Amino acid sequence: MTAAKPIILAEDNPRDAELALAAMEEEHISDKVVLCHDGAEVLDYLYCRGQFKSRLRGNPAVIFLDLKMPKVNGLEVLRTIKADINLRPIPVVMLTSSREERDLAESYALGANAYVVKPVEFHKFLSAVKELGTFWGVINEPPPEGPQSVPLHS
Amino acid sequence: MKSCCVRIPHDKHSAVMACHLAMESATHQQSESPAVATGEAKPSDIGPGSMSSTKGRVSWLEKLTIEQRILAGFSLVFVGILVVTGVSYHNTSIVLANSRLDGRSHDLLQLLSSIDVAMNEAEDAHRRYLVTGEMSYLESYKKVAEQKPTFAAYLRELTRGSTEQEQRVGVLDRMMDKQLSAESEAITLFEQGAFRSVKKMALEGAGRRELDVIHRLIAEMDSDERQAMNRRVADSAVGTRNTIVLLGIGAFLQLVLLTWVYYLIRHDITERRRVADELQRRGELLEAANKELEAFSYSVSHDLRAPLRHIDGYAALLRKTVEQSLNEKGARYLQTISDAAKQMGQLIDDLLVFSRMGRQEMLRANVNLEQLIKSILADLRLDLQGREILWTIAPLPEVKGDQAMLRQVFVNLLTNAIKFTDAKPKASIEIGVDRPSSSEIVIFVRDNGVGFNMEYASKLFGVFQRLHRADEFEGTGIGLANVRRIVHRHGGRTWAEGVPEKGATFFIALPTRSNEP
Repeated sequence: MTAAKPIILAEDNPRDAELALAAMEEEHISDKVVLCHDGAEVLDYLYCRGQFKSRLRGNPAVIFLDLKMPKVNGLEVLRTIKADINLRPIPVVMLTSSREERDLAESYALGANAYVVKPVEFHKFLSAVKELGTFWGVINEPPPEGPQSVPLHS
Repeated sequence: MKSCCVRIPHDKHSAVMACHLAMESATHQQSESPAVATGEAKPSDIGPGSMSSTKGRVSWLEKLTIEQRILAGFSLVFVGILVVTGVSYHNTSIVLANSRLDGRSHDLLQLLSSIDVAMNEAEDAHRRYLVTGEMSYLESYKKVAEQKPTFAAYLRELTRGSTEQEQRVGVLDRMMDKQLSAESEAITLFEQGAFRSVKKMALEGAGRRELDVIHRLIAEMDSDERQAMNRRVADSAVGTRNTIVLLGIGAFLQLVLLTWVYYLIRHDITERRRVADELQRRGELLEAANKELEAFSYSVSHDLRAPLRHIDGYAALLRKTVEQSLNEKGARYLQTISDAAKQMGQLIDDLLVFSRMGRQEMLRANVNLEQLIKSILADLRLDLQGREILWTIAPLPEVKGDQAMLRQVFVNLLTNAIKFTDAKPKASIEIGVDRPSSSEIVIFVRDNGVGFNMEYASKLFGVFQRLHRADEFEGTGIGLANVRRIVHRHGGRTWAEGVPEKGATFFIALPTRSNEP
């Protein structure tokens, strides 16, 4: 069941996306990855709008979220997800270049599940993405689907 | 950015260029601290210049602070009021004394004329008695003789203080006595029956001569007293006029002085208001600049890293793709691309730390340096593995400062010491306190490592300044720049001493009293 759940990679930079996908490929999980090019696409996916209108229903296993993205940035996406009772359980991992304390603090305050700074060195980046993909996409048990999982929701 | 070139001078040309750039940055550095001194020297430079160009009096005034000028103004007003009051009081009391004297003079004049009349009457009465033997004339004479002592006493009292008149009163007194005694002698003779001898006296008057003298004296005294009265009236008039003029001038001068003081105070307030406005404006500008800088470094941290990651990443992907056909040279090229990207990443990180050190808010507290050093050495134990270092750590004092920043200072100094003693078989590192002074605490870190030439001492603390080739010792050259920046923010100083191949000593002086606003 978990194997079927997709991994959302929100990354506006095609090179970063390619490098991340190359890393996932080594772990054979790249076929589960859905690439979103900005924050708006992430929200479209989650709410099954626009190009994702006809996608299979269900939340992704994890969202890898870049901070700095066009249209809707990472923090705004994070705020929307954590404010929505149905989306809140989805693990969100911030995957960003920013080491700024401000970003770290704000991300965790909004409810990010992890915060990873993209290492400059590729082999470190590679191992980071691999570990993240494996842990959140394979090892971690995602929250169950559906309204019955949320007792707060009447 | 251009100082990056300093680090790897490979050929002769770039070495020359590096040297040029290094000198340039060295002068930049040197200008850093004297700039404060020239800033302070400026006002006093202007001072003597204006002194020579304008009058000495003006420069004397200019030397005074605004408070001193206002105080001087008020003091002058106060002194002016005192002087005017004093002189007016003096003049008025003279006028008052004169009017009192006038009263006395009037009494004296009246007395003199009474005496004149009385002495005439005495003369008349005794003669008539001598001629007629009528007792009523004798009574009249006796009355005058009885009055005489009272006249004399009254005269003395009214002329007291004026020597000339007193002398005349003496003579007058004697003359009156003489006249009266001559007349009473004649009366006695008459009563004893010596009519003949008295007859002549009765015709001429016994005290005729004295009476003439008395008349003359009284006339003199009268005219003198009148003159004195006229003089006093004139004096009083002059005094009163002077007082009025003085009051007028005094009031005018005080008005001028008060206007001056008012102008000074108003000018000062306007100036202060202007400075406050200017300060506020600059503060706002500074805040805006800081915000911009923050946005800039945020952008640097985020955007500059991405292309570096791509360079390294694609180099790695390329290596993987062409692994089979890659020869040694190609592999080295790819490795160099990766290394360069990593190095730049490190530089960006260091620069960001450096920039953050400059704007980060300082948290002041008591910092126990001994515990700080201990914890740093504990953290560095991985670097110290396989090294034999003789540590000499003196008892260290508590200092006031930002714990995290000071930690950064000692981490940099200690890792430097460890790094540059690497080649020594018997490394020794000493931490101690130098030059005890009341105003600052000087702490040094001394090693017996590769040292440096004192010629380059001024470059040590510059950003990205390195005295060693990149292949000798690793590092980006930001450590000591951070040390200097942090110590400066604490209001302290940094300097270093070194001998090539013998070792180096780095000093930091922290003020005992924190003086950062």
